[in-house]
Amino acid sequence: MTKLNTTFKTGALALLVAAPLAVATPAIAQQYPDPAQTLDWTIAFGPGGGNDIMARTIVEILNTYDLYPGDIALENRAGGSGAVGWGYLANQAGSAYGISTTSGSFITTPLQADTGWAITDFTPIALLAADDLVLVVNGDSPIQNLDEFIAFAQANPISISGIGTVNVDFIVPALFAQEAGFEFEYISFNAMADQITAVLSGAVDAMMSNPGEILGLIDSGDLRPLVFTGRSTPEALAGVPNFAELGIGVEVSMPRGLILAPDAPAEAQEFWIETMRRVVETPEWQAYITNNTLTPTILFGDDFRDFLANTQEDFATVLREVGAID
Amino acid sequence: MDLFANLLMGLELAINPINIAYLLVGSMVGMIVGVIPGFGPSAGLAILLPITIGMDPVGATMMLAAIYYGSMYGGTITSILLNTPGESATVASTFDGYPMAKAGRAGPALVMQAVASFVGGTVGVIMITLLAPAFAQVSRSFGPPEYFLLAAMGMLTLVVMIGNHWKLGVISALIGFALGTVGVDLETGQGRYTFGSPDLIGGIYFIPIAIGLFGLGELFYAFYSGMHKSESGGLIDYSKEKEFWPNRNDFLSTRWTMVRGSILGFVVGVMPGAGATIASLMAYSTERSLSKTPENFGKGEMAGLVAPESANNAASSGAMIPLLTLGIPGSASTAVLLAAFIMWGLRPGPLFMGQNPELAWGLIASMYLGNVALLAISIFAIPLFVQIIKVPYRILGPVIVVICTLGTFVVHASFVEVGLMFAAGIAGFFMRLYGFSPAALVLALVLGPLAEQALRQTLTISRGSFGIFLDRPASVWIMVVTAALLLILPIMGKIGSRAGKAERAGG
Repeated sequence: MTKLNTTFKTGALALLVAAPLAVATPAIAQQYPDPAQTLDWTIAFGPGGGNDIMARTIVEILNTYDLYPGDIALENRAGGSGAVGWGYLANQAGSAYGISTTSGSFITTPLQADTGWAITDFTPIALLAADDLVLVVNGDSPIQNLDEFIAFAQANPISISGIGTVNVDFIVPALFAQEAGFEFEYISFNAMADQITAVLSGAVDAMMSNPGEILGLIDSGDLRPLVFTGRSTPEALAGVPNFAELGIGVEVSMPRGLILAPDAPAEAQEFWIETMRRVVETPEWQAYITNNTLTPTILFGDDFRDFLANTQEDFATVLREVGAID
Repeated sequence: MDLFANLLMGLELAINPINIAYLLVGSMVGMIVGVIPGFGPSAGLAILLPITIGMDPVGATMMLAAIYYGSMYGGTITSILLNTPGESATVASTFDGYPMAKAGRAGPALVMQAVASFVGGTVGVIMITLLAPAFAQVSRSFGPPEYFLLAAMGMLTLVVMIGNHWKLGVISALIGFALGTVGVDLETGQGRYTFGSPDLIGGIYFIPIAIGLFGLGELFYAFYSGMHKSESGGLIDYSKEKEFWPNRNDFLSTRWTMVRGSILGFVVGVMPGAGATIASLMAYSTERSLSKTPENFGKGEMAGLVAPESANNAASSGAMIPLLTLGIPGSASTAVLLAAFIMWGLRPGPLFMGQNPELAWGLIASMYLGNVALLAISIFAIPLFVQIIKVPYRILGPVIVVICTLGTFVVHASFVEVGLMFAAGIAGFFMRLYGFSPAALVLALVLGPLAEQALRQTLTISRGSFGIFLDRPASVWIMVVTAALLLILPIMGKIGSRAGKAERAGG
């Protein structure tokens, strides 16, 4: 049993990021945040994933710049593709001290399962970044650019792969194909590794992917990027055209943001909007965006909530058309 | 030669005292996460990942990698002592490891698994050092058609797992396949048998099932047979104190098993997605087919423990190849390593080893040292672990229930999975009682979804034509090798058993 204890201690050390001790001032009733209250920060996924790294990066910045006076308890509450963690936050309705980071599953999980909460239930703080995609083909492919790709796809049967079906990886090429006037077979994968070898081995013609994990293969010429689906191409993909430049009206991406519990007090929402304005200005946040090839996309408060609702509606429409959801 | 210059540079980096400290920390943590059932290397890695943010990437990589291959050493300990696999890759080690412990040979079993792990790990690193570029070509030629054939090849091993009661074995495998259909259908996005539960979206994960079937099932059976009533006697009659060390025959009879297991494990480990679990199961059934005494497998045959142990360690080395040479993670654990590289601002890919020679060769060199350290730690720790089996069963039993429950819960923090684990435990008890094959069930649960997905992907790509299997050189090669194995193995088995009989008749 001692072995067990040791591991749990190590785990607890990593899981609890204690904020620097704030100067003890007596709490005034209306003031938010009350340093005596611990901020309960839910990460709805396990350690090491995209959501986890984003949450830890934000907390690291809050601590470095003394932006939050109280203690912050970071807790991974994984399960059911986020349903468990965000369900935990949904149950804290009215609290000013329950907070969570969101990622793509925040939109897709309620479409797939009965979660007991809706994305519009939560108090929105800010949309911070978006996960956009890059369309790549094998480096040996005769297709050199997007025009050739469209021409090829209109004349030949073509396959495009992505991760999962209820996901932007499917929705973006589906909308793009509609607009460009071609048809394709979507090949769905569970894991990035299988998908990359499928393209490298020549089994699949093209793939939709987050740029971060395949930059090395793009650098070496093993994969050829054709188009970036966001509004502005990140530095790491310099020279690759994007949908906005080409006038292709597909604007769907996976939002990464921050939410409070449902019906959180207005002063808590205000405080966090102001705080996140400062967080996104820091060099640490810029480094996070660059290393993960995210698109900085910033919206605050109700704009964020509308964005979430619209994105979910767009997803649902496309998925209903293909019969993936009821 | 470049190779040796690189390796020497790597060794110089690895022998730095701070890096050795990181390496030892990683090895210890790996052993510990390996020992706890269910709590696997990927979870251990992910928890330690955030603390490496400010660390030197070279030392941090050495530490994280050591957690990964270290867990392969630790995972077998509970497989042998409690019939509860500590790791998915050590399921196969319960088949013969636990019967050996029950027969009073826990010491030799534990020492031999450490030696086999060491041989597998070291053969794996040597193969990385010499053959990384060649194997990179292999792993990049794998698409859905090849994965389907690989899974089909793995299913051939089911024939071996099914055992003597073939009807019960087939039923066990079919239950496994059926459980494998639960979850969101990859192609259409529709939920299959999820009943709206978010916990079942991702399907039935095989770890809770394996822990339940083997760990709890065995426990229930022990209570059923009245083992808890004995006053002093532990789980196992451990009277043969002198037989702590393996004897000469243990080494001699398994030396080729280790080599075969290592090579097979490495090759399977190189394929992204196949991994150590399938490698260990394939090594077990291959060894059984080749054995002169296949009837002893499952009853405490040393080769039946050594084969999967050398294979899973070699596979964990093999999985580093696609990561280092292509930036493709071959397993859940290497996916966390990839996340670490990206977090540090590196770009894993074909140019990675050239751009970061210190990191790549430092890691490879550290793996030689890490395996030596792990062998030493294992041998030092084994006398402590052996004490477990002296604990009276009425005390040990409840502890096993707690360990199985905690181990299942920490993986995804899911109560549904804990429920599944207990259900599998009850099923495992009855399967054991009536002669079904839990091993066939688990293997079918692992391979079924893999084969289904790969076949559907293949046929979607080819628009329904099976001709795609003949169009691709890699897939033709796999079919040729499989056919050759199908022809050769039964013949060798026959020669083997004839030779075995002759030997016994002569002796």
